[in-house]
Amino acid sequence: MYIVLMYDITMDEGGARVQRNTFKICKKYLTHIQMSVFEGNLSELNLMKLKKELEQYIRDNKDSLIIFKSRDERWLTKEFLGLKDDKTSNFF
Amino acid sequence: MGETFYIFKDGDLKRKDNSIVITSLEGDKKNLKAEVADEIYLFGEVNLNTKLLNFISQKGIILHVFNYYGFYSGSYYPRETNISGYLLVQQVRNYDDEEKRLRIAKEILKASSYNIYRNLRYYNGRGINLEEQMKNIDSLIKKLDYGKSINELMGLEGNIRKIYYSTWNSIVKQDINFEKRVKRPPDNMINSLISFVNSLIYTTVLSEIYKTQLNPTISFLHEPGTKRFSLCLDIAEIFKPLIGERMIFSLLNKNQITEDDFDRESNFIYLKESGKRKILMEYDKRLEQTIAHKDLGRDVSYRYLIRLECYKLIKDIIGEKEYTGFKIWW
Repeated sequence: MYIVLMYDITMDEGGARVQRNTFKICKKYLTHIQMSVFEGNLSELNLMKLKKELEQYIRDNKDSLIIFKSRDERWLTKEFLGLKDDKTSNFF
Repeated sequence: MGETFYIFKDGDLKRKDNSIVITSLEGDKKNLKAEVADEIYLFGEVNLNTKLLNFISQKGIILHVFNYYGFYSGSYYPRETNISGYLLVQQVRNYDDEEKRLRIAKEILKASSYNIYRNLRYYNGRGINLEEQMKNIDSLIKKLDYGKSINELMGLEGNIRKIYYSTWNSIVKQDINFEKRVKRPPDNMINSLISFVNSLIYTTVLSEIYKTQLNPTISFLHEPGTKRFSLCLDIAEIFKPLIGERMIFSLLNKNQITEDDFDRESNFIYLKESGKRKILMEYDKRLEQTIAHKDLGRDVSYRYLIRLECYKLIKDIIGEKEYTGFKIWW
């Protein structure tokens, strides 16, 4: 499953902690492409694991996290304006 | 299916935030998603520590190391978790039983030569006349059935490969004089290319065997020597024509790889980084390529085909179903 994940964390007291942890968890599973946006290919199981980990930190009344799912990367066209980069590449 | 990362730059590989991060000498960073990574190929000079090795063991990630010249040095793989004493005993028994071993070896060679034949048939259909060579290979494949010893089989395989390689000069459109396969060291561009690609297939097979209960040291076709995982050689034999050689033809015929990708001073033995990178990108793409599997009734990637081959072998070893080698069916 191809996934685009983005989050919005309210930066009040305790917000920094949530943001920090969300970032750390996301980057284990997905590629960091922009400030609070991640993308990548995940299996059903890995997505469940990711969500489980995130649920510990995301505060239901303050933070929001969106996951866009697509069956396959093929069904997703990506367009760049401005800087183009290939952060999702497996080559370094 | 996990992801594979290829690292060309020099730098530090570290555990950070329960993930793996590579920092190049210039300070660029890349995060190698620890939860989804399966393999990491290291081509650059990379520093790492036991902290990292412990971590990747925990995550079941395999590290393949290549030296400065792009030759395979070895792999670090985590403590075996998929082990089965029962299967090991059966595997050894099958190896020790002359008849059974011969049957499996034959299957492997038949599949491999059939795939070679299919490669030739493809190019024959594209206006290169290979009828005679195809006929010769076909008759040698038939002889495989009557082989009475491993040595005899190996001899036949040698002959098939010789005929196969003799056609390369007409298949490859670039002007390279490829006479015969030369190893240690390879003596021209094509030989270096074959060596490099074969080592890649070898590592992929090792990674897939690692995920099964098979023991990579006990092989059937090749003699299980010391100092190497010979079962990888066995299984790689089947997939070389399909994955490796087809890729070599296409890379050369589309002029994606030319003399410029090799180090001229070394007499074209060493690939430049640009060359390695191009080959790996193509290789990675090919492993992910899928085909509709007849028996499973779903799409399967080339990489997974290798694993299926291991499973079929296991079934034969434990006496559940006779092994039939993988033959291209499309």
